[in-house]
Amino acid sequence: MNRLLRQLHLFEEIFSAFQAAFPDDPLTVQAMPIDETFVTLAPEHIHEACEILVERFDFYHLSTITGLDTGAAVELFYHFWNAYGITLRTALPYTALRIATLTDFIPGAAFYERELYTMLGVVFEGHVNLQPLLQPDDWDGSHPLRKT
Amino acid sequence: MTKIIVPIGPQHPLLKEPVSFQLTVEGEHVTESAMRLGYVHRGIERLCQERTYVQNIHLLERICGICSHVHTTTFCQGVEALLGVKLPSRALYLRALLCELERIHSHLLWLGVLALNIGFDTIFMYAWHDREVVLDIMEDLSGGRVSHAVNIVGGVRFDLTDDRRVTLLRQLNGLEEQVRILLGVVEHEQTLQARTRNVGRLSLEQIRRYCVVGPVARASGLDVDLRRDMPRPPYDGLTFQVPVRQEGDVWARTLVRMLETVESVHLCRQMLDLLPPGPVSTRVSRRVPAGEVVSRTEAPRGEVVYYIRSDGSDKPARVKVRTPTLTNLITLPSQLENVNMADVSVVLSGVDLCIACADR
Repeated sequence: MNRLLRQLHLFEEIFSAFQAAFPDDPLTVQAMPIDETFVTLAPEHIHEACEILVERFDFYHLSTITGLDTGAAVELFYHFWNAYGITLRTALPYTALRIATLTDFIPGAAFYERELYTMLGVVFEGHVNLQPLLQPDDWDGSHPLRKT
Repeated sequence: MTKIIVPIGPQHPLLKEPVSFQLTVEGEHVTESAMRLGYVHRGIERLCQERTYVQNIHLLERICGICSHVHTTTFCQGVEALLGVKLPSRALYLRALLCELERIHSHLLWLGVLALNIGFDTIFMYAWHDREVVLDIMEDLSGGRVSHAVNIVGGVRFDLTDDRRVTLLRQLNGLEEQVRILLGVVEHEQTLQARTRNVGRLSLEQIRRYCVVGPVARASGLDVDLRRDMPRPPYDGLTFQVPVRQEGDVWARTLVRMLETVESVHLCRQMLDLLPPGPVSTRVSRRVPAGEVVSRTEAPRGEVVYYIRSDGSDKPARVKVRTPTLTNLITLPSQLENVNMADVSVVLSGVDLCIACADR
């Protein structure tokens, strides 16, 4: 029970830090199974929100970034972990598949961003080596996980 | 001094799986390194969207040839959370038992590969000899030495008789004796230390910034283990130590893995002692309610993460797999910097590469 209380307390703090930093963003929070919390943010706030999580709340571990084509937009999920899981989610419209890179303060994000760049065509602005990660040398530039 | 580019891979005797490194060498020292992945990319994440949950278990089992069981465990754990089913305790214990056996298998296999790469064939022979014991146990339990195919959504497909439990405990005692001998070798053998100490060092700061997981992180002082830090049954009712070292070199990684192997034997024994009676599976619906879940488990190489989204049908809308090797690979350029050419094989082994995992 202590663990649950600590988690609730911590996430309240994180949520108020987000609210203070992005007053105009209609943040939504969702509790998910297996100790995970999802927070939805606008794409332009992701970089700063990740910085808050890493610098202020010590969520140093970025587990991975998931990309998902819903058919209407490309959703990105930034899964962080430090004793509890927290996922920041955002949606990019097809017309603007661009988002700021996290590699400037989390160098471990480099491979995840390269993979998403080829699989879904999301451009990570500021990534120093945005090359295909898994595609062959004669890759035709198509994105295997895109629906349209 | 002249710079020479030495290609290692995609096919190379040093590598067990296809991956390519281009090392820029000045004299005997590596100055730069570049890596190329994707030679065993099978598009498994995309394939998952075409198959039902039941079919996906068999597909995901083939991501890795060593830790196949932990992949299906992570997947089933996620799907069961989406379904909201509570598993019988016996199923959870049997699942975890196989996870721990797999960890012993993986670490012993790795020790053999390291020993082979540093030219210490005696340890290689002994480690792989002991690994056979675990493989035999797993074959007895599941019918398969590497791909076990025991997980189903809602439980497991095998059970343990009381007779079998007693033999298993005896086999584990013998195994522990052998593993302790290997642990002594790693701790005291000077040849092994001469080749692995101060090689491939990673600081705690680097480990945190590169999001490194598993034994590699624990050998650099990061005290993280999902079995302990995200306590779920059966691990919440078992006692075990999480070995952590501060040195951050390949020797520390070897020691951490061997200590973990001993802990895994303890865990197996505890689980066999505490094995609750009852059914090993529960019936679940083939259609999974719409929702999404992030499922994490501690594989032999570190944290495995699955993101699963369901749209309410019998096929997942998205399955994202993040394997531990993919995160650990990213540290290789900094580990290879200024390394003597003869130590490259030690550094590459130290990370415990599983390229099939990384490529999916």
